[in-house]
Amino acid sequence: MPRQVLRLGALAILMVASLLLLDACSRDSRPGEIRSAVSQLPQTLDPRYATDAASARVNRLLYRSLVDFDEHFRSTPSLASWRVLSPRLFRFTLGPSGRTFHDGRYLTAEDVAATYQSVLELPDSPHTGEFANISKIEVRDENTLDFFLNEADSNFPARLVLGILPAELIARSHDFSRQPVGSGPFKFFAWHRSLNLDRISDKQRFVFEEIRDPTVRVLKLVRGETDILQGDLPPELVGYLQKQPGLHVQESEGSNFAYIGLNFQDAVLQNPLVRQALAHAIDRQAIIRHTLAGGSRLAETILPPEHWAGNASLEPYTYDPEAARELLHRAGLSLPLKLVYKTSTDAQRVRLATMMQAQMREAGIQLEIRSLDWGTFFDDIKRGNFQLYGLMWVGIKTPEIYHLAFHSSSIPPKGANRGHYIDRKTDELITVSDWPNATARIHEQLPYIPLWYEGQFAATRKHIVGYQLKPDGSWDGLVNVKRSKLKSVFPGKNTLEGF
Amino acid sequence: MIRRLLGVVPVVFGVLLLTFLLVHLVPGDPVEVMLGESAPVADRAKLRAELGLDQPLPLQFVHYLKALAHGDFGRSIHSRKPIADMLRERLPATASLALCALVIAVGLGLPLGIIAALRQGKWQDGLATLLSLTLSAMPHFWLGPLLMLLFALWLGLLPVSGMSEPGAIILPALTLGFGLAAILTRMTRASLLEVLNEDFVRTARAKGIEERKVILRHAMRAALLPIVTVVGLQLGSLLAGTVITETVFGWEGIGRLLVESIEKRDYPVTQACVVVIALSYVVINLLTDLLYVRLDPRVRFAV
Repeated sequence: MPRQVLRLGALAILMVASLLLLDACSRDSRPGEIRSAVSQLPQTLDPRYATDAASARVNRLLYRSLVDFDEHFRSTPSLASWRVLSPRLFRFTLGPSGRTFHDGRYLTAEDVAATYQSVLELPDSPHTGEFANISKIEVRDENTLDFFLNEADSNFPARLVLGILPAELIARSHDFSRQPVGSGPFKFFAWHRSLNLDRISDKQRFVFEEIRDPTVRVLKLVRGETDILQGDLPPELVGYLQKQPGLHVQESEGSNFAYIGLNFQDAVLQNPLVRQALAHAIDRQAIIRHTLAGGSRLAETILPPEHWAGNASLEPYTYDPEAARELLHRAGLSLPLKLVYKTSTDAQRVRLATMMQAQMREAGIQLEIRSLDWGTFFDDIKRGNFQLYGLMWVGIKTPEIYHLAFHSSSIPPKGANRGHYIDRKTDELITVSDWPNATARIHEQLPYIPLWYEGQFAATRKHIVGYQLKPDGSWDGLVNVKRSKLKSVFPGKNTLEGF
Repeated sequence: MIRRLLGVVPVVFGVLLLTFLLVHLVPGDPVEVMLGESAPVADRAKLRAELGLDQPLPLQFVHYLKALAHGDFGRSIHSRKPIADMLRERLPATASLALCALVIAVGLGLPLGIIAALRQGKWQDGLATLLSLTLSAMPHFWLGPLLMLLFALWLGLLPVSGMSEPGAIILPALTLGFGLAAILTRMTRASLLEVLNEDFVRTARAKGIEERKVILRHAMRAALLPIVTVVGLQLGSLLAGTVITETVFGWEGIGRLLVESIEKRDYPVTQACVVVIALSYVVINLLTDLLYVRLDPRVRFAV
């Protein structure tokens, strides 16, 4: 009787073991590809619908836009250069580069006009509103087209960053979200679970895999199942990666702005003394030093100092809990002051919130943290249902953001002035595009408590060379990345010291 | 029997009605999700009309049922793909993972449980109890990475995660299977111990039947009823998608689809997932009930 039982057990163990063995023999190493593990794959590859960061990053590889940005975030010609014929008329002339679509068609002014026309006409595109100012698009010849505006907008070229699609396919309602055709440096190959792109210049295959769990992304890189990781890791995992042989970790300054938003509809937060107290109650330096990726730095306003509209002369709010207490007393409040801080469920965000909670306690502020799932959290923010919240502006290129975030006409649903900040002087300065004074006024009024620009980092396997990290976290560096000829001796195992 | 089958119909209808109402009554608006913050009010109204969201709820429900009868689950708000295609892609992944986990659970849990029962109070029993308690106490988000470290990084035998490489199913299946095996071990032990003292076991032994047959054919068969119940429930929950394990191992199953759709407020997908999960529970329960009759002649459906 027990023999039978033992036999059953042995059989089970044998089954599992043979499965393991079978697998070990049949592994296929897929040579030649360059693989990247990302926390999230794009929602859509149609630039007319894309709003999330991953879609924007991949679409930059697949499509070309009329205009791009240099390192000071000034608009520079990409597909086209432009001339301002009148404040309400811009003429764009297509240049010679990037004119071939992946299906062989030649990109002309007709395609540009069709792309923007279709965005204006689509019933469900989130970008329609951004281009509402365009009154008419006229094609002059194969290389030239004119944009007529309803109202003067000196900043207009900086908006034309939409990828250009072939007119003929737009007319046929081609599904660009799954079968993109652009003229960018990468060509779409397949998207089944993982997203596969081919680099036009040398037919190098790139594979993007979505791995949600940060620990698993790290393990995959260490084991060599993926070649490139960028961003979205807690700092202790970055530290772990730096200690691994066979990996190369690079860090750089970033331009994505983290902040605490305040609600001006709240009686307590309306008082400027309370907002100043909050700004003095957070030890940003300590948080940057201990819990953020290398390359993170203090931020005072949304656009970084190297931006042409940035402001490097803003005096940082220092950590001074005594002064914060004093300010709260002067505001006539009895301590501790209770405030509710909303954030997402992301582990790193919650950790940052608990650190700020501990620092604020010193200043007599009792912070209650509410960690909500993303949908609920963002919905609350948009509805103005919060006292304090933590968020980050990602990939911001133009000072237009100050209008979107702080102008009194931008209160949701018309914009992103979620804290209902209304200040006539700020409005005036934004309207005349006086960015040094506008940023100074905002810095003094504190509708946001500025925190930091989050540093960027990328970890690559040693045989991946030439990957360049971009401050906004884009994946443009993939254009130049190469696979060196050297291969690991034991492809399955973590033994790369042999290089 | 027929009546038991017919009994499923109101349950299914109730499930459809309830999920429809829940999804449509919770705060939040798919139009807001699609258009973002800056869309003009006119655009919103137009899109709402196009999606049929401006019609009264009962009418929307009738349209929904009609489409469903044709196998049309609607389209995802985000990817704009037909939901039926998404389900067709995800369901086999979840089903194969569930079956693998169940095979591992039964393969480990039954023998361990039998050993523990037969060696009650001896060291084998203690060991099996210790093992099963340890395994059932380990959360999946911890056991998963642990298995990855062991099998993928140190031994280099299996891929860390993903679905493309062969053998990738083993680690997630083990993660799930271990936890279930633990519960099955406890269940089998308790159930078998109860039966072993019954008269019919003593009679079987007195007749001189081989001990192996006494245990496996006579005692086990009687002890199987509660075990089948547990296995049925477990299979149901496995088919409902195991969100944490699927997330950790990058397994593109129905559980992840559900959670992603909730995060993105992709209501039609959420609704379709809930319906499919509920239906699979109903079907598994039905099968379990039918199995009872085969296992235990005393169980009869009321005629």
